[in-house]
Parts: sequence; C-alpha cells; structure tokens
Amino acid sequence: MTSFSAVIASVLVALLILFQIRRTRMPGSAVGSPADTELLRQRYNNYAFAVSDEAAGMERTNEAFREQTDFRRSAGFRPPRLSGRHILPTPPAMFSRGRFRRASFENEPHPCHVKSSVELPDSGRQSRHDERFGATLDLLPLAILAANPQGQILFANAAAEKLFGYSREELSGVAINELVPALQLNACVADSAHADLPLAGREWDGHRDLVAKRRDGTEFPAEVTINPVSWENEACTLTIVIDRTERYELLRNRQQLAHLTRVSTLGELAGSLAHELNQPLTAILSNAQAAQRFLATEPVDLAEVREILHDLVEDNHRASEVIRKIRALVKKGELEAVPLSIASVIRDVALLVHSDAIVRGIRVRVAVTPELPPVHGDKVQLQQVVLNLLLNAFDALESCSALNREVAIEVTPEGGDLIRVAVRDGGTGLAGNTFDKLFLPFFTSKRDGLGLGLSISRSIVEMHGGRIWAQNNEDRGAVFYFTLPTGARAERSFPRGQP
Amino acid sequence: MIEATSTVFVVDDDDAVCRALTRLIRSAGYCVESFGSAREFLECRPYIQGCACLVLDVGLPDINGLELQNELNALNRTLPIIFITGHGDISMTVRAMKAGATDFLAKPVRDSELLPAIANALRVSSQALSSRIELDCIHHRMARLTPREREVLALLVEGRLNKQVACELGVAEKTIKVHRARVMEKMEVHSLVELARVADKVCTPLSPG
Repeated sequence: MTSFSAVIASVLVALLILFQIRRTRMPGSAVGSPADTELLRQRYNNYAFAVSDEAAGMERTNEAFREQTDFRRSAGFRPPRLSGRHILPTPPAMFSRGRFRRASFENEPHPCHVKSSVELPDSGRQSRHDERFGATLDLLPLAILAANPQGQILFANAAAEKLFGYSREELSGVAINELVPALQLNACVADSAHADLPLAGREWDGHRDLVAKRRDGTEFPAEVTINPVSWENEACTLTIVIDRTERYELLRNRQQLAHLTRVSTLGELAGSLAHELNQPLTAILSNAQAAQRFLATEPVDLAEVREILHDLVEDNHRASEVIRKIRALVKKGELEAVPLSIASVIRDVALLVHSDAIVRGIRVRVAVTPELPPVHGDKVQLQQVVLNLLLNAFDALESCSALNREVAIEVTPEGGDLIRVAVRDGGTGLAGNTFDKLFLPFFTSKRDGLGLGLSISRSIVEMHGGRIWAQNNEDRGAVFYFTLPTGARAERSFPRGQP
Repeated sequence: MIEATSTVFVVDDDDAVCRALTRLIRSAGYCVESFGSAREFLECRPYIQGCACLVLDVGLPDINGLELQNELNALNRTLPIIFITGHGDISMTVRAMKAGATDFLAKPVRDSELLPAIANALRVSSQALSSRIELDCIHHRMARLTPREREVLALLVEGRLNKQVACELGVAEKTIKVHRARVMEKMEVHSLVELARVADKVCTPLSPG
C-alpha cells in the first residue's frame, strides 16, 4: 500500500518538477528519452508544463540551487531523486506564478521545448493553465487539496470530491480543517519558509496519520502529505489525502488476532498464574495470623509486629502486581509506543511463567547485558513475543531428562543500534525441513497447537523494525533470535499513532 | 515438653512465604530453621538431633518436595514431613502420604491447620526418637553378649526350657544356667518375659511413624 502511494506521489512530484524545467534558451535541455516522452505523453494527454522566464530569474538569485537545477536540466525533465516522503530535494515546487501551459510536443525530438511565456496573451493563459493543471490532478487517484496559507481550499481534485463527498464548488473556500481537523498547515508553511535549507536539516517529512471527516460526518483514518508550494510568491500547500481505512482494518485484525492468542496462552497458564497469586496470599495469611498471635502474648513484641506489617504491605503489592501483569496482557488496548527496557519486559514474563517452569521442572536463566539502550515499542506485544518463545522452549523440553531442562534468555547488543534477544532450549531441536515454514500462519509441530504464535511474533517483531529467526544449537535444542532497534532508529521504525 | 526441645524446619523457595511461615510457627513457641531449597536443607542438616519435623513445599526448583522425601527415606531418617502446596492433586497427595508424610496441606494454610499438624508431627517424631533411643540401648547391650550367650538368648526367647537349650547346644544344663544368668545381667532385665519383649524389639524392624 505504502509503495503504491510512493509511486503516485512520485508521479505527482514529477509533475511539480515539470513546472520549473527548461527555458527555451537552453539548447538541448529538457530532453527525456523517447520512451519516457511517449509514456508521459500518453499518460498526461499531451500536457506538459513550463515555467516562465520570471521563474528563471528567481532561480538565478539562488546560487546553491542553481547547481541542482543544472543537474536536473542535464538529466532531462525527471528529477534525479523522487520519493513520496521527501517531495523536493530542492526549494518547493513552484507554480511559477501559476503559469503553466501546453508544451510543444509537436517540436519533437525536443518534446519539452518550451516557448516563451510572452508569446501568449496573459489573461486567457492563466485560466487555461489552471484548467489543465486541474484536469491533470483529476487524473490522479489520490485526493488532492490545494490551500492558501489561511487554510482555505483553493482547489480540490475529483478524487477528493469522491473521498469527502463534497462537490468541487462546495469545497472551494472551505477551511481545510473541516476535512482534516487535526491538520496544521502552519507547520508546513513555516517549514516552507526554511525551504532553502538543505533537506537533511529539516526534520519534518510531510507525512502524517490523521483522522479525516466526510461530508456525512463519518471519520476515517487518513495518511496526509503536505507539500509546500509557491503560488504567486505566496506560500501555499498541496495536501494529499490517502484513505487508510483498509490498512487500519488490517492492523486492527492483526491486533485482535494477537490479543486472542495472548488470551488463549494465558488460559493455558491459568493454573500457574493462580499459583503465582497464591504465594503472596499464603504469605499474607501466615503473616497476619502470626501478628495476631504475637499481639496476644505479653509483652507484645512491637518490633516483630512492625516487621510483619511491612511484609504484609510487600506481599499485597506483589499480589496486585501479578494481577496487573495478567490484566495488561489480557487487555485489548491500542498499540502504545514507549521507550522500554527489554530487561523489564523479560522479567515480567519470567515472573508469569515462574510457576509453570517449576511444575515442569525447568530452570529459566536470564542473562541481560547491563546498560542496554531502551527499545521503542508496545510493552504488551513484546511481552507476547517473549512469552510465546519461552513457552515454546518449555514445550520443546517436554521429553528431556531433568538435567537438560534449562531455558536461557540472553540479551546482547548487536551492531550499533540493535539489540538481540535469544531464547535457547536444550530440547530436541527443529527438523531440517521446518525452518522456512516456522513463521507461517497455521504451521505447528505441536499436537494441539494452533500455529499462530510464531507468525504473530514475527508480525510484532517486524512491526517494531526487527527480525526474527531460528536455528539449531550445535549440541542440542534450538535457539530463537529476534532483534529490535534502539535509539532514534527504533522511534522511526514503529508505526505512527493510529486513529 | 515437646515444644521446648523440638525444631521445625521450613523449606520453601519463595522468600516471602518462607518468612511468613517461619514467623507463624515461631509465634507458637517452636524453634524454626528455614531453607530456600531442598539442596540447602540436605547440605546444612545432614543429621538431626532431637525431636523435629519438616514443613515442606512440594513445588521446589532443583529437587522437589517429593524427591526430598524419598532421599530422606533412603537415608533412613525419621523426620515427619508436613507437605504444603499451592497446586496439589490426588496422585501427589497419595504418593506423599504413602511415603510417610504426616500431613498434606493446601496453600494458603491457616494456623488452625498448620499448628496442630506440626504438633502431631512432633509427637510422631518424639515417639520415634524414644523408640530409637531404646533400640540403640538394646543393641548396645546385645553387643556385650558372647556368641554362645546370643545362641542361648535366641533359644530362650523361643520359649525353650534350660534343659532343652542344653540338649540343643550339646552342653550341660548347669552351663546353660550360668549363660542364662549372664544374659539376664548383660541385657539388664529381671525376668524371662522382659527379656523376650526386649529381644522382640530388636528382631521386629520399627516402621517409621
């Protein structure tokens, strides 16, 4: 879906770039390959756009910009680098005073050879330019809104009409915030003011996940890209709105599936979890009854009673922690991306399976390299991955002798900005032909397994920008690895906030 | 007074539970020693002097409670065990009781269950202790007998008369009389009935509990 939108955005950018290309006095400039030309001609119905000489004058004022422009000229009318996110590696696309006009394809083999703007009378040309530009935008399957700095819509294309349910006339002059309430054009305009800064210096990449509103009042998740453009020397914005309902539904379904498997896993663990809760309750009862007995004897040992009360508070806290952890895993919440210590994620899971391990006679060894940087992600989902790998390891040890019943979790840094978690068991290992199927849905080697655990783990890890894989140990058993990015890379990789 | 000299051992891997149980048992006036694992207990307490019992969690890492019970039985240590567990089932209970546990309690355990169970276990321990002391004493006395005297003793406690014993061993009845007097003296008994009872204890192995 994302690559599709990137392609569409790239095409759009190509159009925008076309506004600045080629002056007639540059001989041999602005020539694409004949194939490219043909493609463009078919696609855009013989429309191309040219900048006026005034724009060229503006360009001359910017020395740094010229080099890039020259490069573009020599490269033909396609800019050297196009991407949906980084709309322009140069100052914002210029409508060049709104003048664009029919390119003279009849002049082939120089299809983009542009005639001077003075050749046509100014008034009629302006409206025709707008018309043609609008017609071009109408061809795009993306909702596009052009707005002035006050946020009023100047233009909406056909896809926008369809998406929002308003007619073009109704949209004209309407505040863009009516359609996308959370949209802040100011940020973009401010950004465009610094458009001459090198791209790397700009943090904003023009891409937001926001909630948009249709005419009938229904809301839908939308990916909004704002592109600063110049119109009659005024900073304007071109807003592309992509309906993300389907992607959101997909994500939601995946989350629901993850939740279901989490709940069913906890169901399997119910006995152990009850025991985990029973321990503090046992301590509380014995402590309380001991206190009663101490209080009944003379003289009362106050120090002892004080100590008991302290322990009672601790035990109570421990019981509520167990409940809190269970509830967190059962909870059906939205994804929450926060900085996390992977050690605490593992510790929480180890606590939940503590009793299960004892009943199965399994030792769990956790070794975490100290002072690891935090990862960025959803605690519950990462716990689910660790829980799943840990319980799989427990199952793998089912037929092992008591001596080999050990599961080791190791967390180590990997490269500059990754950490690697390894869950190692001493079981029977994985059969050679299962490696490529392990992480596929509904693949299971267990008699009563659903085959969803590892596939969900993979989708969770990948969503966090990591990777998951498995291999057999040299001596015995298997090891499952997953990596997670840390630091700035981690924040980038996690999906943006969902509506 | 059992309480004054007896020790209650607590083995539970959960620190909080271990501390709370220790406290509760101490509040009843017993001397308590607690251990975090079965191995620790085995290492620290290879021999137990005096009257004692063990409050033992079933679900322990390393060696679980039932395995510890087996090891203690194999070492022929008569230490009454009260099991406590969070997730006990029937088969586990049966196994523990068959192996000689005095009680099997579910967590959380109330003082009204635990303390009587401990009192009972200590009573068992005390009885076992006194019979062991008595047995040791008898063995000690028997060790003083000569082989011939032992032969005489064996025949006497079977109910044979001096004459019959003499005939069996092929010696004079007068000699047997001398042997018999020595046996009575060395075994520190005053009648044939008493001698028979003492000898009986040695021959019949004492079952634990």
